[in-house]
Amino acid sequence: MLKKIEQGKLSELVTALIDQGPLYAPVRDDRGVNFQSIRSPLAVTLDFYNSVLSPKAVFFPQSEDLISYRLGRGEPTAKTTPLPTAQTILLGVRPPDAYSFFLMDELFLGSGIVDPYWQSRRDLTVVIGYPFINQTPDAVDFYSSLGISATDTRGSDIFLIKKNGELLFKGLTEKGNALLAKQAALFTEATGDDEQYYLAALAQGAAIVTRNLDCDPKRTASKLENLFADTAFWEQMAAACISCGTCTFVCPTCHCFDIADENIFRDGARRRFWDACMFTDFTLEASGHNPRSRVYQRLRQKVCHKYSYYIRNFGVISCVGCGRCTRSCPVNIDIFTIIAEAMKK
Amino acid sequence: MTAFKEIEKKLIQQAKELLERGEVAQVIAYGRGYDDQHPMPYVAKTVADADNLVFNEFCTFNLVGYLMRCPPGIKVAIVVKGADSRAVVQLIQEAKLRREDLVLLGIPASGMVDQKTGKIIDAQTTGGQINPVLCDYLLGEEKYGRTESPYQVLKPLEVMGKDDRWQFWQNELSRCLRCFACRKACPMCYCDPCFMDQSRPRWADKSPTAEGSIMYHLTRFYHLAGRCIDCGNCSRSCPVDIPLYLFHKKLAQDCEEMFGQAAGMRIEDKPVMVDFRVEDTDEMLK
Repeated sequence: MLKKIEQGKLSELVTALIDQGPLYAPVRDDRGVNFQSIRSPLAVTLDFYNSVLSPKAVFFPQSEDLISYRLGRGEPTAKTTPLPTAQTILLGVRPPDAYSFFLMDELFLGSGIVDPYWQSRRDLTVVIGYPFINQTPDAVDFYSSLGISATDTRGSDIFLIKKNGELLFKGLTEKGNALLAKQAALFTEATGDDEQYYLAALAQGAAIVTRNLDCDPKRTASKLENLFADTAFWEQMAAACISCGTCTFVCPTCHCFDIADENIFRDGARRRFWDACMFTDFTLEASGHNPRSRVYQRLRQKVCHKYSYYIRNFGVISCVGCGRCTRSCPVNIDIFTIIAEAMKK
Repeated sequence: MTAFKEIEKKLIQQAKELLERGEVAQVIAYGRGYDDQHPMPYVAKTVADADNLVFNEFCTFNLVGYLMRCPPGIKVAIVVKGADSRAVVQLIQEAKLRREDLVLLGIPASGMVDQKTGKIIDAQTTGGQINPVLCDYLLGEEKYGRTESPYQVLKPLEVMGKDDRWQFWQNELSRCLRCFACRKACPMCYCDPCFMDQSRPRWADKSPTAEGSIMYHLTRFYHLAGRCIDCGNCSRSCPVDIPLYLFHKKLAQDCEEMFGQAAGMRIEDKPVMVDFRVEDTDEMLK
């Protein structure tokens, strides 16, 4: 199903979508673009390259309460937080990020234990992808290396493409088509010309090539396995690393979390929240022993988790080449360079 | 403008000499990152390594924190710009570094550029100090003459009402992701473990609650009172661009006004918060 709307009517569409349930879309402030829950329709921007933080928080919030409880005199009470039930729309997702949801599905749904929080949000959310078209890839992006194209439809329910003052919406899945059908009043039917424009745009976007590197999953995994004990290599790669959590927090596929009970006086909650393998206390054991006490061990863990262990566990590389970790790293460590160096070994 | 190419040449030359003579075990400086605009901290351990050193307007990262990883008793050379040299001095005052372990390659650098914004870092933002306050080799021309006060940038906050200012900081600090890039990039943040990593007692929520983030930053600001040397590493490292430097500057200004001493200017000084004198002001108690 291909529908269109004048670009000037985007705010009308956004208003209609907000009425249906929570809408997350890119918003620009003085520090750049990020996905935010939209209250004012005018806040949404489609004029951006990519968000600073990945949109993963829509499915995997940085912090969420699993159980809330009350302690104190008498019987303590506790109740589990109900799973979300509202339909959610996530608008303006770049193809590498949309594909990252698939990669995370492997862990949260496909590992034998289903994460109900991830599953309910995935089921409820319609992803409106926003392919890169007419856009020079950022110097640090490398999604081509990972077999992801600038117009990859995997992970999107709808594709949104700009066409001189108009916005084309292409339904890609049942979920996506249902959403477009529901808002039929706002859209006009696309013409044959629009169809052609859409296909041409996709073809043009598909020709975009980022930095490229041959990293076949199986070969990469065994390469890194063989390199595991090469301390000199990892020390060299991690020489500049300051061991902060920036790369993991901006990453669309990093998913490690911690769980803690936190209370103020009698009221508390059992929360889960993002953790990072780059933190000193990530593997700190109760005895005081830390199996990853050195910076190089932590950086090695991060790289090998994505490019080795995840492949052994799920058959795929857990990285989409969005370039966020490199862009945000305070000391410009570049995971692409690390993999390239490893492959040379 | 600073003659970066010339400085780079001198730096490579000096690093080679020091390594060749065996005077230092390593030279902590900058090397090439994934492109010219993104240099990386780099450690040269051999004369051949020294050829990889670079110095340009994007070499903003303060390297002094890496010195804390070097074992004492082994001589190390390090590149220091103005504020970086103050970090060295401050850490010597705090007995964290030993002068005799260090060879300081001083670079008077003006016109340094923020990699993210592309804007020049000046006294307005961070790094108002151009000339190193302490060095063994000077690899460029010192610059004199008045630059703008590093505290000029505080004016808009000072004219704000108390409530508005509190609102401003609440808004800024509650955006914190708790990636801890600020504390990891800070040469003065060497507590092990950091109070935020302690679980008994737990000083702030482990989850990124706004209250916990405010607790973290306010505590960090006060841990750095009279110690922050205004290099701006914390703010440039922040992935969500919280202007931490503003708070640090305010405390630095207060310390300077109350005790007549700026952090990390002279090895002979005692850190302001360690040095008690009878004539000290009790302004802050009022």
